[in-house]
Parts: sequence; structure tokens; C-alpha cells
Amino acid sequence: MLIDKKRVKRNKALDKFFRGFFMAMAILSSSFIVIIVLFVCAKGISPFLPGYEYGQVDLISFLTGSIYRQDQGIYGVGFIIINTLISAFLALVISFPLSVLTALFIAKIAPKKLSAAMQSVVELLAAVPSVVYGVFASGVITGVVEWIASLFGITTFGGSSLLAVVLLLAIMIFPTLTSMSITAIRAVDPNLEQASLALGATKTQTNFKICLTAAKSGIFAGAILGLGRAYGEATAVAMVAGNKLFGPTFNPFDITRTLTSTMLAGLKETTGLDYDIRFSVGLVLIVVIFFSNWILNMVKKRIGRNSVA
Amino acid sequence: MNRLVKDNILKGITYIASALSVIVLAAILWYLVSNGLSLISSDLIVGDYYATTENAAISNDYIYDESAIGEYTGEGYYSAKWGIALEDITTAHNDEEISVVYVDPNSPFMHMNSLVSGEDGMALSLTEGSSIQNIYYLDEAGETVFLSRVKMADAQNTIAVLDANATGIVSINYESIGGGIRGSIFATLYLIGISLLISLPIGISSAIYLHEYASKNKINSLIRQGIDTLTGVPSIVYGLMGVTVLFPVTQLAGATSTSILLGGLTLAIMLLPTIIRSTEEALIVVPQSLRDGSLSLGATKSQTIFKVVLPCAVNGILTGVLLGIGRVIGESAALVYTTSTVINDNPTILSQGTSLSLMIWSIMSGEQPNYELASAISLIILVIVFAINFIVKIIGKRLAKSFV
Repeated sequence: MLIDKKRVKRNKALDKFFRGFFMAMAILSSSFIVIIVLFVCAKGISPFLPGYEYGQVDLISFLTGSIYRQDQGIYGVGFIIINTLISAFLALVISFPLSVLTALFIAKIAPKKLSAAMQSVVELLAAVPSVVYGVFASGVITGVVEWIASLFGITTFGGSSLLAVVLLLAIMIFPTLTSMSITAIRAVDPNLEQASLALGATKTQTNFKICLTAAKSGIFAGAILGLGRAYGEATAVAMVAGNKLFGPTFNPFDITRTLTSTMLAGLKETTGLDYDIRFSVGLVLIVVIFFSNWILNMVKKRIGRNSVA
Repeated sequence: MNRLVKDNILKGITYIASALSVIVLAAILWYLVSNGLSLISSDLIVGDYYATTENAAISNDYIYDESAIGEYTGEGYYSAKWGIALEDITTAHNDEEISVVYVDPNSPFMHMNSLVSGEDGMALSLTEGSSIQNIYYLDEAGETVFLSRVKMADAQNTIAVLDANATGIVSINYESIGGGIRGSIFATLYLIGISLLISLPIGISSAIYLHEYASKNKINSLIRQGIDTLTGVPSIVYGLMGVTVLFPVTQLAGATSTSILLGGLTLAIMLLPTIIRSTEEALIVVPQSLRDGSLSLGATKSQTIFKVVLPCAVNGILTGVLLGIGRVIGESAALVYTTSTVINDNPTILSQGTSLSLMIWSIMSGEQPNYELASAISLIILVIVFAINFIVKIIGKRLAKSFV
């Protein structure tokens, strides 16, 4: 057999080249996260450094402030952080039980055809873009909130309120929570279920007591993901938040302001402090998400200790 | 017995929880259809967003001949004398207008010259769909009479006045219809093209490295972690990154402000995790025996990848492309900073403009939100996104079967 030595050499060189190329692309892909964090940090920190061209902002009063007025040059995001945490957490409180029950229904309880149909419903809800949820929220949810408020004899700002934000976010994180819970429940070891059934528990008891307990680690991971989405949701939230100038907001019928709605408010200017401060708010958002994930992951480890799936 | 009741109650609760999500989906669809469906037409899709005003006089070489004007039996109020049919409409901007539904070829309104300075008497003809603002006509005494928008009142009255009083038409002021989404559709297509063009090669190569080459070591797990973390970054933060990091890149291409190119580049990075994951999932399904077979026949590793593995993974890559398209169509927050929120009827790659989703944000966040147009665009987006979802599901089923 004849072996073309030149060709073998060329193929080897090509092989090496492609290996290097693929590796370079992978490194490039994963370096974007570093680029994002570095540049948002650099730009976000700049207003707090001495010698900042539009007048240095005090970091402490920025982080703890309870007034945010661009027109007066007062930037305090302390209350906005609290608002963001409150709205995301309340949304999780509403959405979590509903999504776990729905997941259990889809994974264990529903007849096969109904289960497939419900799974499609969840997938469609997941596919709805956030801006469309925003249109729905400002058209329907605000109306619902106004109606609820009128039952208590309260007037709202056209329905824009903390409650509207919470309901919107609850709907938006529902598909994430549900699909993660479905995966976790389906991954539960069938031996466990059979053991429970053999001991005389009913099917429903097994579903609620064994499956949910065994899947709690995975379900909790879904909750972490859902919270992350709730913090970062921007356009839809900004449509119904109302952008209050001071806070924090605890009254569900009062308007509120989240980190993302602040970042989207009034985009007229492209330079100056008003522009740069958005990066600072974005940086705060990144930090909030990071710490929230970190704490919840620690909680998850603790919960997951006696969990199987 | 007690146990059975308890079980049924618990089961019932899961039924109720599931029903709630169905209700929410139904409510969304019902709201969008009831508000937006009536607006969806070919005019919406091919039309400009901004209405343009035209002021035109009947041209000097046109000779009016009433007998030359034909009959018309369609909708609206028709003037057989002037060969024009009008009807009352509500525009996408929510205004009451008198709209032209038909113009006879021999009507004076088909033979006009522009009065707008700078257009040099450009020949114009009244197009169907325009809304009439005012008309100057000649009465029986030969005097020019001004028929203002207020005096026109509605379509029926306008036709009646023209039929009864006018002996000749002098000039007309009309507005082409606005509220169209053509510009945003093009901007969306540009965004899809740019983002996929960049993220596909990078994403597929990364997936190949991670699945075909990477051994389990610290560097590779760091690479994987970096890519996984990208998934959790909120889209608005991608927007911030776009204006700082990628803006200089677009400046090299000649951009002077935020642009569709910048938006596309930003989205390209956002799509990377999606493309990488779906490609990798497809690579996992390709049986190892195929690779071994190719390698043992003497092919090099890269030859194996390009000629054996990738053709088998084409469905997975297609899934990634489709999911990516869906994401670009639905994205708004990352684009607010990068393409600006100015609706552009004739976008180019280097100009500002809005995608369909961003257009919704644009018309909803102004002083007077336009719910009807927003619902109509939402409906269009939903149909596309749901269709993509459906196709991805079918591909997924085929993928699962392909190597059994």
C-alpha cells in the first residue's frame, strides 16, 4: 500500500490546527462572562472614585439611600434593592407551591394524554417573550389589581403596583420552576416509591410524601433559577412597576421600583452621570443575584443532605 | 375511607394548580386576540410606522371628464362624479380617520403633482389606505373652497359635499397610513442574521471542543463553568456589556451611534449558551462506534468530526438555530441599550431601529401606550415563537429515534 507522506503530514497539521481552533473558540465563549463582569464593574464603580468627571458620588449613601431622583441628582438604591428582593421573593412564595403541585400532576398524577397536554402548556408559557407578558400585565393584571384594590376601597395608580409586579413575576417564573420540578420528580428512584407502596401507603401518599421529599433538592434548584429570573426581569416589570422615587414599598397597592426598572427609566441621555449610574445599578443587580444564589445554594446543600435525587 | 377522601382532596389540589396555568395561558391569548387580531392585516405588515403627509394639486395637463369615470360597487361611499370611495376607520394610532378605499384610474386624484417644497412637483396619485386631511375644491361660481377635516366630518358627508358642490378639484392634503411594522420586521431579520452568523461558528466549535476533545481537567471544567454562568446573566446586563465592550467594535465598521449591528453582536453572545448546549446534546447522541469506525479507517480526528460526527448532529444544531431565532425575536431588554428604542421604518445594519419586541416596549413605555398595536405585534411574535417550539419538539422526537 502506498502512503502519501505529504498528505499524512498535511492532515496531521490540519488536525492540530482544528484542535487549537476549537479550543480557542471554547475559551472565547467562556471568557465572555469575565468580560461582562469586568467591564460592568469598571464602568459601574467609576462614579464612586475620586476624580470622576461628573462629580464623585458617595458609595455609602448610594447603597443605603432611600431616595432616587435623577432630576435632583440624588441616587440611593438601598430601597430599590429591598424592593427587588421583596417582589422576587413574594413572587416565589406564590409560584412555588403552584408549580410543585403542577409538576407533581404532570409527572405522576395526570392520565397520560392530559399530562402531555399540560406539559405543552408549561412549554408554551416558557416560550412567551417577557415583553408580551408585559403587555398582558399592563392590560390585564393591572385591571385585576385595580379591582382588588377597589374591594378594599383603595385607589391605585392605574393598577401599577407592587402587587402587579409580584403577580407578573409569579407567572413568569412558573414555567422555570415547574419544568425543573418535573425533571426532579421524574428522577426519583422508583424503588423508593415501590417500597412506600409495599408498606401500604396509597399512591397519592407516596406521591406527596416520598416523591416530593426525595426530589426536594432538584425542586429547590428550580427555585434558585426562578429567583434569578425574577431579579433580572426587566421590560415586563418596568411596564407595571411605576417607578417610585422613594421607598421601600411594603404596601402591595403602592407603586414600586426595582433595579431593572430603574435601569430602563428615561434612556434619553447617552453620556454623563445619569448614564454611568445605570452601570452601577447593573453592578448592584449582579451582586444581588450572586449573593442570593450563594446563600440559597448553601441552604440547598443543607436541605439536600438527606435527599436522594 | 378517611384515607381515600384525603387522597382525593390532595389530588384535587394538583388539578386546581394545573388548571390555573391553563387559565393564565388562555387569558394571555384571549387578551391579545381580542385586542390585536382586528389590526392584523397586510397593511400592518408592509406599512410604515410613521405616517407621511402629502400635499398635492391636480396636475395642469389633466382634463376632467365625468363620463370617463367608471362604476364601483365595493365597500365605502363612492362618488361617481370624482371617482373616489371613502370609508371611516380607526387607525393603529387610535385616531378616527377618513380613509380612501378606491380611486378610479381616471379620477383627478390619480393625476396630481406634489406641492411639498423640495419634491419639485413630483407626480403623485392618491393611494388606497391614505387618510384625507382636507381638500380645496372649486364651487359653481368658480371660487376655491376649503373643505377642512372638521367640515368633512365623515366619509358619507365628504362624498355628499363633493358631489353636490364641487365643480373641480384644486388640491388635497392626505396622510399615508402609519402604524405599520415593516421596518421592525426587517430589523428583526437583520438581528437574527447577524447574531446567528457570529454565534453559530463560535458556539458549534465550543461544543465540539467540550464534547470531542476536552478531557476532565481543571481548565476544561473552568471553561464549562464560564459558559454555564452565561445562562444566568440577566439580559439587561448583556445590554450594558454591549454598549461598553462591543460599541468600539461596531465603530470600526462605521457605526456612529448604537445600531442594529451592535444589537446583533450583543445577542450573538447571549445565544452562545443555547447554541452550545443544543449542539452538545446532539453530539452526545452520536454513537461512539461511528467515531471509532471512522478513526480506524485512517481518518484524522478533525476529518471524523467534519465528515462523520457533525452530519449526524445536524438536527441538534438546527434546534439550536431555531431556539436562537426564538430568543432573538423575543428579546427586548438587551436591545434597549444597544439598538435604541427609536422605531425606524427603513433600518440598515448601521442605523438604529427596533426589533418587533423592542417596538412593543417602545410603544408601551411612551406617554400614551398603544395597547391594540402592542397586542397585534405580540400575537405575531407568539405565533412565530409557538411554531418554533412545535418544530423543535418534532426535531427532538426524530433525534431521539435516529440512533436507536
